[in-house]
Amino acid sequence: MEPVQIEHHFEPKIVAFLCNWCSYAGADNAGISRLKSPANVLPIRVMCSGRVSAEMILRAFRSGADGVMVLGCHIGDCHYINANHRTVKRLPLLQKLLGYTGINPDRLILDWVSSAEAPKFAKVTSNFVTKVRAIGPIAEELGMGLRAPFNARPIEEVTA
Amino acid sequence: MIEQIQSRVEENLQDLDGIVALRLTNQGAAPYLYQSGDDVAQLVMEPRYPVSETVSKLQKRYRDANFGIVARGCDTRALVEMSKRHQIDPNRLYLICVACSSEQADACHCSEPYPILDQWPRSELIGEPVAGAAPHPLVAEYENITREDRWSFWKLQFTKCIKCYGCRDICPVCFCDACALEDPLWVEPGLLVPDFPMYHLIKAMHMTTRCIACRQCETACPAGIPLTVLYDLIRADVADLIGYLPGADVDSKPPLSLTLADAPIKSDLVY
Repeated sequence: MEPVQIEHHFEPKIVAFLCNWCSYAGADNAGISRLKSPANVLPIRVMCSGRVSAEMILRAFRSGADGVMVLGCHIGDCHYINANHRTVKRLPLLQKLLGYTGINPDRLILDWVSSAEAPKFAKVTSNFVTKVRAIGPIAEELGMGLRAPFNARPIEEVTA
Repeated sequence: MIEQIQSRVEENLQDLDGIVALRLTNQGAAPYLYQSGDDVAQLVMEPRYPVSETVSKLQKRYRDANFGIVARGCDTRALVEMSKRHQIDPNRLYLICVACSSEQADACHCSEPYPILDQWPRSELIGEPVAGAAPHPLVAEYENITREDRWSFWKLQFTKCIKCYGCRDICPVCFCDACALEDPLWVEPGLLVPDFPMYHLIKAMHMTTRCIACRQCETACPAGIPLTVLYDLIRADVADLIGYLPGADVDSKPPLSLTLADAPIKSDLVY
């Protein structure tokens, strides 16, 4: 009897921060229009893409996300007039920092999706999932799970 | 050099309420408020310690006092950043600036070992400015290092961290009342080696438009983590993408809290 070959297929976990006014509505619209978009994406609704701080993105990575997307309104369309101007400056710097410490900076993207752009939402998410699937799991890239890095133990255990 | 600084401090004490500088103690050097009548022979410049934070605290406590400070180039850059964030009042501050020697500049890999006096109308300069030293060797060749090597380097470095918060405490431009590094939402308490992306990258991200390259964090780190390699790299990116150099100009505001009209960035996503 032939031994059964089990293929371990990697499916990336993606966290998407969606702005309440544009991208979340865009994602909703993509669903209503029955456009095919990958199920890997975990949407988190935020009031504005400018609200997405570096801390939130880093915590997503730490919690095991293989990729993080930040989607907001186009420049000029922001519900809060110019709050996404901060996002467009913050994200490239965080991408640089990820690259400098050895995390693939392609794991983090920023893009603009308005509420009418349901096809763009489907395209951006499926492109990103394909890209992250090719990059591979973040735990493998860093040689360990991120949840408990460097074999760190809780302080109670160490002092006991 | 040190005698010249001491005599200038003594002379300036006639007009000022006090001058903040380092004083020799039996454990090294500590910030001290020299007042007229004090023995200025105890004033030292080594080892380095940022005195700008002491001035900020004194100015907030004594609202009418007119203080002076003995500042190196890095201290003046820190004062510029603190001034635009309303931590010091430049109108109540007199700067006795000291230019570092080329040996001191080499020890810090300092590209700017001299104060920039045109930011400070009430100031004087002691010593001869020398040219900047070469950057850290790792910064110069960082582009050629592969991502795997970068990660194995930083993994080793960050594993040494004992989370003493020394880098944050000594940093002259870290002065927030509520610190993200103390928030259990971002940095889990009780982990002896801090989580990798959280502690160090939050610190680095907060340093992007603030770091004035004084290298105090690196000097203070008991584990010897070369933090300023990371901060130097991101400083260069901020200069390249946004055209902002922390500590250079009192009138240029922190760009990450400005709109694109006031501080544009080179990006495909801006149109």
